[in-house]
Amino acid sequence: MSDKPLTSEIVIEAKGLKKFFGSKSVLKGIDLTVFQSEVVAIIGRSGSGKSTLLRCLNGLEAFQEGSVRINGAELKTNNAQTLRALRQQIGMIFQSFNLFPHLSVGENLMLAPHLVHKKTKNELSTQAINLLKRVGLEEKFHAFPDELSGGQQQRVAIARALAMGPSILLCDEITSALDPELVSEVLQVVESLAQEGMTLLMVTHEMNFAKKVSHRVIFMHEGRVHEEGSSIDLFTNPKTTELKQFLSSI
Amino acid sequence: MDNAIYSGRDVVEFSIWDVLRNLLLAARWTVALSLITFAAGGLVAIILVLIRNRTDRWGKHVVVLYVQLFQGTPLLMQLFLAYFGLSALGFQISAWGAASLALTLYCSAFLSEIWHGCIQAVSKGQWEASACLALNWAEQMRYIILPQAIKLAIPPTVGFMVQAVKATALASVIGFIELTKAGTMIANATFKPFMVFSIIGVLYFCLCYPISRYARSLERKMNVR
Ligand SMILES: Nc1ncnc2c1ncn2[C@@H]1O[C@H](COP(=O)(O)OP(=O)(O)OP(=O)(O)O)[C@@H](O)[C@H]1O
Ligand SMILES: [Mg+2]
Repeated sequence: MSDKPLTSEIVIEAKGLKKFFGSKSVLKGIDLTVFQSEVVAIIGRSGSGKSTLLRCLNGLEAFQEGSVRINGAELKTNNAQTLRALRQQIGMIFQSFNLFPHLSVGENLMLAPHLVHKKTKNELSTQAINLLKRVGLEEKFHAFPDELSGGQQQRVAIARALAMGPSILLCDEITSALDPELVSEVLQVVESLAQEGMTLLMVTHEMNFAKKVSHRVIFMHEGRVHEEGSSIDLFTNPKTTELKQFLSSI
Repeated sequence: MDNAIYSGRDVVEFSIWDVLRNLLLAARWTVALSLITFAAGGLVAIILVLIRNRTDRWGKHVVVLYVQLFQGTPLLMQLFLAYFGLSALGFQISAWGAASLALTLYCSAFLSEIWHGCIQAVSKGQWEASACLALNWAEQMRYIILPQAIKLAIPPTVGFMVQAVKATALASVIGFIELTKAGTMIANATFKPFMVFSIIGVLYFCLCYPISRYARSLERKMNVR
């Protein structure tokens, strides 16, 4: 699936993004453009700033320099109103699932659309059931998160993000906390999303998966985009020594 | 009664019922003081927790200092300061007012610390996941954080409440007549300290035990979800 997406509308545009934690420079000027329905994998060593980059794109972290535009709108981390609007367009899935443990699976899916979109009970439950079907868990509507396997929890987390109707999904190592035999059920869901045209920006250590579904791969090194290109180019013909080292180390 | 004769006062015979009745009457003030302390102290604690969570560094420092101040000094001293200190400064305050004030401040410091800790104990991922679903701060608190924090808060809060009920006894040092003070007076008058203080012990137990019991059933209920 390495063909370029058909449309060329820019949905994420970061320019000169710089992020410091105290005096520590973590992102040292990131330029990144993502097109609609594009699937972009981000790879790189631990500590290279992959998570921080994702978290800057949806306002979980404030950045010090540069700009981010999501679907054309400027991201301002200090403005609650625009953040709320932005976060309806951009969902995020975490390595640690982060389901709400005191709510059932159904409630996990319905809470945010209820509060933010003011949908009716009927609309909400129909939507939740449909989303659960999509991730293959319709029988778990009334279950609680601690009754599910890791793979199931992560699929619920994906459904929960989808319930807000985002056009972009950020995935941060979403299979890293899973037992190996549970990885594929989650990746299948992600792949189906890619096929349906969701814009995906995913940090991953699953190189085969990155090769298979991503249009483009970005290699981050010490807070910079060190090398980027189509997945075939990048994996079979790495140019920088850092990427060569990284690929041989995994 | 030999003792009564030596005391040089009118000989008054107290039956156990007289003692019990008078102690029960005094226990009302212990209950009232406890209730005021919980209500007002809880309210102030909520405000402190909000300040600590919602303001910049400055507000945090002020709250932390406040908590350290009241946790780090004896309640006895706080009661003295509230009563004698305020009147030395020209504010007329009754023993009742001073006791309520001091205990409220004392309670608010402890409760705010407990509750702040319970909110902190909810994992950061819960804040982040709910933020990513476009919830605002109030919605995050109301629907995600507090339901989890309250569950954690019940045991330490109740533990502290039981301590606070017993701490109201210290208000006797500024002349506030609650259960312990009344007991001392009755014991002096009757020369039956063992009986009087045994009854006092039972009364405090009767106040505190139901609180712990209720807390345990509440906890059980919440664990069932
Ligand atoms: N909240 C924080 N405070 C201080 N430093 C941080 C914080 N979060 C991340 N860092 C630092 O920023 C750097 C980049 O971290 P980041 O989590 O973005 O790396 P990563 O590429 O996602 O690594 P990994 O593969 O281990 O997840 C690291 O050196 C990390 O120690
Ligand atoms: Mg990371």
